[in-house]
Amino acid sequence: MTPRFLQTSRRAFLGGSAAAAALAALSEGAQAQQPLPPLEEYAPVFLTPAEWAFVMAATARIIPSDGDGPGAQETRVPVFIDRQLAGDFGAATDLYMQGPFTPDADMNLGTQSPLTPAEIYRQGIAAFETWCSNELGAAFADLPADQQDSALQALADDDVGLEPELREFWTLLLQNTKEGYFADPRHGGNAGMQAWVYIGFPGARANFHEWAGRDEAYPLGPVDIAGERA
Amino acid sequence: MARTDPKKDVVIVGLGWTGSIMGIELAQEGLEILALERGPDRATVPDFKYPKVIDELEYGIRFGFMQKPRNSTITVRRNGDEVAQPMRRLGSFLPGDGVGGAGIHWNGQTWRPMENEYRLRSYVEEEFGADAIPEDMTIQDWGVTAEELEPYFDRFEYMAGISGQAGNINGEIIEGGNPFEAPRSRDYPLPPLKQTVDAKMFAGAAKSMGYHPFPRPAANASEAWTNEYGMQLGPCNFCGFCERYGCINYSKSSPQTCILDALKRYPNFSYRVNSEVLRVDLAPDGQTATGVTYWDDEAGEEVTQPADLVILAAYQLHNVHLMLLSGIGDPYDPRTGQGVTGKNYAYQMNGGTTLFYKDVDFNPFAGAGSVGMAIDDFAINQIDFGAEGFIGGSYIVAGNSNGQPIRGISLPEGTPKWGAGWKQGIGEWYGHSMSIGSHGSCLAYRDCHLDLDPTYTDRHGRPLMRMTFDWKPNDIRMTQFMKGKIEEIAQSMNPDSWQSSFKSEGARYDIRPYQTTHNVGGAIMGTDPNTSAVNRYLQAWGQHNVFVLGAGAFPQNIQYNPTGAVGALAYWAARAIREDYLPNPGPLA
Amino acid sequence: MRTYLKILVGLIVVGAIALLAFILVPVQRTPAQAQLPDDWQPEEGQGEYAMRIADCAACHTAPDGEQFTGGRAIESPLGVIYSSNITPDDATGIGGWSLDDFRAALYDGVRPDGTHLYPAMPYENYRKLSEEDVRALYHYFTEEVEPVRNETPEAELPFPFDQRWTLRGWKWLALDDPGFAADADDPVLARGEYLVEGPGHCSACHTPRNTIMAEAAVDASDEAFLSGGEIAGWTAPALRGPDSAIAGWSQDDLVSIFSTGRNAHAAVNGEMQLVIRDSTQFMSDEDLTAMSAFLVGLNEGTGQARAESETTETETEALIASADPDMPLGTRLYIDNCNACHFANGRGADEVFPELDGNSLVTAESPTGLISMILEGSELPSTPKRPYSLRMPGFADRLTDEEVAELASFVRQGWSNDAGPVSAASVAELRGKAQAKME
Repeated sequence: MTPRFLQTSRRAFLGGSAAAAALAALSEGAQAQQPLPPLEEYAPVFLTPAEWAFVMAATARIIPSDGDGPGAQETRVPVFIDRQLAGDFGAATDLYMQGPFTPDADMNLGTQSPLTPAEIYRQGIAAFETWCSNELGAAFADLPADQQDSALQALADDDVGLEPELREFWTLLLQNTKEGYFADPRHGGNAGMQAWVYIGFPGARANFHEWAGRDEAYPLGPVDIAGERA
Repeated sequence: MARTDPKKDVVIVGLGWTGSIMGIELAQEGLEILALERGPDRATVPDFKYPKVIDELEYGIRFGFMQKPRNSTITVRRNGDEVAQPMRRLGSFLPGDGVGGAGIHWNGQTWRPMENEYRLRSYVEEEFGADAIPEDMTIQDWGVTAEELEPYFDRFEYMAGISGQAGNINGEIIEGGNPFEAPRSRDYPLPPLKQTVDAKMFAGAAKSMGYHPFPRPAANASEAWTNEYGMQLGPCNFCGFCERYGCINYSKSSPQTCILDALKRYPNFSYRVNSEVLRVDLAPDGQTATGVTYWDDEAGEEVTQPADLVILAAYQLHNVHLMLLSGIGDPYDPRTGQGVTGKNYAYQMNGGTTLFYKDVDFNPFAGAGSVGMAIDDFAINQIDFGAEGFIGGSYIVAGNSNGQPIRGISLPEGTPKWGAGWKQGIGEWYGHSMSIGSHGSCLAYRDCHLDLDPTYTDRHGRPLMRMTFDWKPNDIRMTQFMKGKIEEIAQSMNPDSWQSSFKSEGARYDIRPYQTTHNVGGAIMGTDPNTSAVNRYLQAWGQHNVFVLGAGAFPQNIQYNPTGAVGALAYWAARAIREDYLPNPGPLA
Repeated sequence: MRTYLKILVGLIVVGAIALLAFILVPVQRTPAQAQLPDDWQPEEGQGEYAMRIADCAACHTAPDGEQFTGGRAIESPLGVIYSSNITPDDATGIGGWSLDDFRAALYDGVRPDGTHLYPAMPYENYRKLSEEDVRALYHYFTEEVEPVRNETPEAELPFPFDQRWTLRGWKWLALDDPGFAADADDPVLARGEYLVEGPGHCSACHTPRNTIMAEAAVDASDEAFLSGGEIAGWTAPALRGPDSAIAGWSQDDLVSIFSTGRNAHAAVNGEMQLVIRDSTQFMSDEDLTAMSAFLVGLNEGTGQARAESETTETETEALIASADPDMPLGTRLYIDNCNACHFANGRGADEVFPELDGNSLVTAESPTGLISMILEGSELPSTPKRPYSLRMPGFADRLTDEEVAELASFVRQGWSNDAGPVSAASVAELRGKAQAKME
């Protein structure tokens, strides 16, 4: 058995796989960003058409488009959520998923659901849609805005009869929506860094030595990880 | 599959701060050393390089540099009657993994405990009488004094290039520093960081109330620094991505910036990553360790690694877990109070008040992990425990470390959590609030402890460790006292509005929101083998060739962030090993 | 007519004989410049030290190869030359070479069989090596180094440069007399001069090449010596004169750059990193001091103007600090990519982040080094005094060619810098080259 890390230990910091990464960077090059296709043309990776319709409608109420600042639609939050659910986050790759499970354990002890976040969305959307059609007579996306708001409030208040396995559904939906709104555009949301521009967060600039301690509005727009400027 | 590798002089479990310190100190002795790190290798470039690491979602929210519960977690219950549940997702605290450990993703707040914190039981008994200590409170003395540790704090602070302002040099009070601190032998190696708007406003208010504001000591370099190993720091640029991130700028003190490249030059030192130690192997008589057994992820096999000296330098929780799994010290039993390993687990009692100002631009993104102005006027050595009805204290501080939006934008009370009102709120209030925090002691109690869970196991089939912990009335009274003091200051600062968040009576421990990664105790140090797991040199009482570093040694939690004391204790133990143990291996106490 | 023909034929015959003689008659090899006893032996470590000061390792070791086994590609303006195996292997190295053979390679650039070595081997400078250093090197490479079999590739040069015999004529024109005589009386300065002119072969890169591609000067008394050259497309900056990269540097600054690759002003880049890695970090404090003192002496009277500009806030700094959204693209790119480490004043931080204001890499006439630095980044060698391999990441994946050009032009003209702009085409070309090199 080759003690590989013994061999690499004192050399690894000299570069190792960095060369491969640098090559990838060079060949990839930096390209002027292509305009994004319209949200309606996005083909979801994880969400089914019905689930996509729900996520589109729900996030549009969680962060609506009217008023100052962009909404979840303009910032492409649903794309972010779909990509998250299709990836490690959705699959609970990092989470401890061994049983036994006690889904109705005290909330303070954290999530105890046997379901992954992707499964919680899948089953949670289905359960909530059933509640919507039973209680309000329509699919969530087809409800008028004020009824959508009250339905979401019922979900937030845990008043829609979700099983304990699904009780994290609202928390995840709300959290993921805000994540998609504010995360770096490389993750699919915060299109054009609009959410950053709205609140005045300069993004991935990561150096403000000259501004520490200055009580005046910072005027320069954000930059993202890819180097796009807004 | 299994293999046995050739014997080493020293095996170090974990290559974070303490493993790196012990590694380089013992490498200087010419010993053959192998460090085993369960996580991946990490270096500033490529792992923390700009702009890759400036990704709030990946590192701040999805915890890219933290331990994965799937690989390693604990179970938690609030008391002995509850069934412990596994911590399936990280929340309350964030242990790191990988080379550098939590030393890469901390904020850099580097304190020295107060003199009386090392001898808390004696101090309380002497000053306020033994009756002042509640029956279920199991506080103990450390077995070491501030005076004894001073040279080792000095060493750590100069190694790590701490920015700060001394308040007491050899008994002389220095204007602008913390007048209540234990005497230090000289000033900090670097001048304080420049201060953010919120810190300046707080300091002004505190001063006019007669308090003694001073810059929070920071492992964020205010200027270029070269340490005793020739390692280097560059000046912090207030990037606002400190805690949870590796530093892009070589500015935050970490094993990477302060030790590792120097350590890697020693031909007698090597390390393996993705190698999780499963247990410490003991000799048949149990009196010494023979080495460790670890899981080699690359090879997919268990490896027996013989060694003369075993240094447990993993995170506090993992050190205690390994001790429990390996039979190092008798497991603590809360019913009888007997046993030592797992005893006196403690956490940290924090709280804070947020102040809103429409017309102030705080520019929160221009922040540094440890920037800030603090006061110690309500420190643990300033409070009359008898009069106030609690034992403990806090430092109070304002200083903005970041303005990352997903992690939270403070909104005035009544702002909706979602919808149009929320969106309007973030537009109005981002960058227009500041907070004043208290960072306080959390004492030790008979039932707060660590043991092995009867139900849940890890990926290697080992029982998970079980934490039994809840907030206690003494510490809640302490934090409520701080709430009163902070709100007085806040009101004097005339904000448009303000709101407080402090634990109140009946508060139960909640593992979901992040609080602090200051888990302490469980491998506590002391002078009596019946009440402590390691002696004052951090040497296991029962196995003289096992040393246990880290905050597990704290018999109860101090009112400060632990890293300063963790670093000083590592140097303290390293001196004992180099000068006393190696020439004559055996119990040092 | 016949007479002319006879004369012509006669000339051709004479010419042919002369040519044959030029090609075939063995070269006269330079003898030892000082007599040492036959039984002279280097002191413990003296051989290795001589190898370090002559920096044999940098060229005679391939990037992933064993030490001294050669095969490193050396890009010359005429084509690629591969360094030779200098381990004492009989078949592929220098096994069996006599001391005279060895000295002839160092002094005259010839192999024992009379083959001429390309002047990538700096025998223009090694001709100044003392006999003691020659003997120490000989001992090291024949007695201390293990033989390793490693065949190295043939040079890839086009006709007529592949005709090694022509080098005889080149040497006749290019080579000065062998041996070293110090200009300075002071023994420290004299030692410094020896190290710089001789084994250190600084002038191989830092002195311009003349019309026949020889070093324009090999002696410090000539002002062309160390007045700036080029290596692998990067500028090897002037070390004296009005454009000296080390103007105003103290002796300590120089000792620090030689021993650690970094000082309060600069960090070494490009090929100089290999010099630190393989040579100067191993030099004794006495020798580093001597070399530094000598170089400081070459720069006396320069560097006053810069000291003044260090204390005043420049327009560049004020613009960066304003975060004004209307700033030009180059400034904006600096804030978004460089300001974190190099700061608004362009002064970086001592020994960690190099200064950009007045930096010779930044202001070099050829922007090759600067562009490569922006695209690919750089890593300092680890040395005993400064073990940290500080690394600047590359920005190739974040910046387009146009953006790199804007950024490079900005730093070349920011603060007190005054160098020409950079075109996107130059960036594209270097990006392509870097990509090809890595593939």
